[in-house]
Amino acid sequence: MHPILENRQRLTFYLLAWLPIAALLTVILKRDPASWLESILVAAPLSLLYAFMCLSAWYVCLTAPMRGQSWARSIGTLGAGAALASGVWALLGEVWALSLDPWMVVPELGEHFLTQAATVFVIGMLLFLLAAAAHYLLIAVDEYREAEKRTLEMQVLAREAELRALRAQIDPHFLFNSLNSISALTVSDPRGARRMCLLLADFLRSSLVLGAQKEIPVSDELRLVESFLDIEKVRYGNRLSVVRNVDPNCHGCLVPPLLIQPLVENAIRHGIAPLVDGGTIRMDVQREGKTLEIVLENPVDSGGGPIAKDGAGLGLENVRSRLAKLFANEALVAVSQEDSKFQIRLRFPCIQFGETR
Amino acid sequence: MNPIRIVVADDEELARSLVREYLRESLDIQIVAECANGFQAVKAVTELKPDLLLLDIQMPRLDGFEVLDLVGRETNVIFITAYDQYAIRAFDVRAVDYLLKPFSAERLAEALDRARQKIARGESTAPAALVTEARAPGTKSDRVLIRDGSEVHVIPIAKIDYVEAQDDYVCYRAEGKRLLKQQTLADAEAVLDASRFVRIHRSYILNVDRLAKLELYAKDSHAAILRDGTRLPVSRSGYSRLNALIG
Repeated sequence: MHPILENRQRLTFYLLAWLPIAALLTVILKRDPASWLESILVAAPLSLLYAFMCLSAWYVCLTAPMRGQSWARSIGTLGAGAALASGVWALLGEVWALSLDPWMVVPELGEHFLTQAATVFVIGMLLFLLAAAAHYLLIAVDEYREAEKRTLEMQVLAREAELRALRAQIDPHFLFNSLNSISALTVSDPRGARRMCLLLADFLRSSLVLGAQKEIPVSDELRLVESFLDIEKVRYGNRLSVVRNVDPNCHGCLVPPLLIQPLVENAIRHGIAPLVDGGTIRMDVQREGKTLEIVLENPVDSGGGPIAKDGAGLGLENVRSRLAKLFANEALVAVSQEDSKFQIRLRFPCIQFGETR
Repeated sequence: MNPIRIVVADDEELARSLVREYLRESLDIQIVAECANGFQAVKAVTELKPDLLLLDIQMPRLDGFEVLDLVGRETNVIFITAYDQYAIRAFDVRAVDYLLKPFSAERLAEALDRARQKIARGESTAPAALVTEARAPGTKSDRVLIRDGSEVHVIPIAKIDYVEAQDDYVCYRAEGKRLLKQQTLADAEAVLDASRFVRIHRSYILNVDRLAKLELYAKDSHAAILRDGTRLPVSRSGYSRLNALIG
């Protein structure tokens, strides 16, 4: 759409800008013995006409864009457009003067206009170029706004994707089951219920805060794992026990957020939950020089309990692709199962804050 | 009036305690057993014959649907779960109700009212066939469950040699044992993996991994010899099905 015609406010401003031009034209066209009224009668309609003719500068601006074309060519296009518009305008001015001639007190208006035609033509050229400049400016402004809007939209989209990913990472059934536990505790153990609410809030808040970051220190991730385990301990009671073996040297290593917690969640859902008496999850976080190794081990029901494979593979795929994005082929994800023991081993370079990759 | 006798099965102690607390107010209800896994649930239901079963779906050993598959014929069931994706299956097995965790005391009371009406009308739940059919499409189980009294046998499908129809029962042969399950051979066939099991005869389904050789023993009639020497009859259509499978 035309940047001036589509906008009522801009159109009003544009036409107001033509008032002094019309006045100037009136002065130029004034014949000495004749009245000012005659001169206005010629200049005013011509100005209005040219105001609209100059809107066509937009098309010229489009065919001669500021970028991506040689200056010479743009100037040529603009000059030709201006000459054409101005020529037509001067011609129409002469026709108008001639047609007014019979009504005038002082005769030979047509002849007089002809003596001024060169001036009118030059003014027309200049006005057209001025209009073109104004159009260029408006086009640039509109482009800038459009780009700003697009950037904003992109940001919103990226944010949405992030939230969607996060929602997918937090299993809704974990929430429903936890809420059910709170509901059960409210009467029998109100303090326990309150504690569970706080644990849940703590876990949700940390996963939102951490999840929004690109990388976090292992220590933060492990805190998230602990707050998750606190909640699961309430649900599973004695059936769930955890043995941790964490090298304090690892605390500063950077990992993508929510890397270990979903693996622990899987270990409980697919390892501990199907076992009548539960079991022990082992979590090892060790560092060998520049390499970080995370090993998670959980028992599985070798007697073939209900097989619930839903999501296990997907979660692992997620871990793989995220590590690959950060460390390319330096990351290793290994899964093994022997008898009733399931193990996931992650190895990737330990990079601390401020270090370059 | 006799109290309604209920078995509660959920692997989480807290979840069971919630049900217990909700039911304390209902004087016509008596909890006769609490179970923490599927095996216990099957045992409790077969031994105690409760009027109603409050059943969690995600449990160790046997899930709620498997429990119902094993005991379901005479038991009314209310499913209690955090998962809403089983609602349609629950409807298919004609569950009395389907409660989503967390649930209110009122919601449980509503479900119990439904159960009372159903018990008063003397209706029982799903016929066995319906339970089998209710398995989600495309998900073949990798094991067969057989109840023997209050005991449950779990047979991994790969261990099955062949299946034989015997009157109202189907006999599974696996690891030298014979186990009877009350179902039709067509039901058994629907559960077994078609890329490995083939109906070779009106009364037999064979695990093709066990086949040693085929013998022509009369005109148009074959016998399958298994690796352990067992001979099974093969009908003419069974022969062509077998050929189609093993080429």
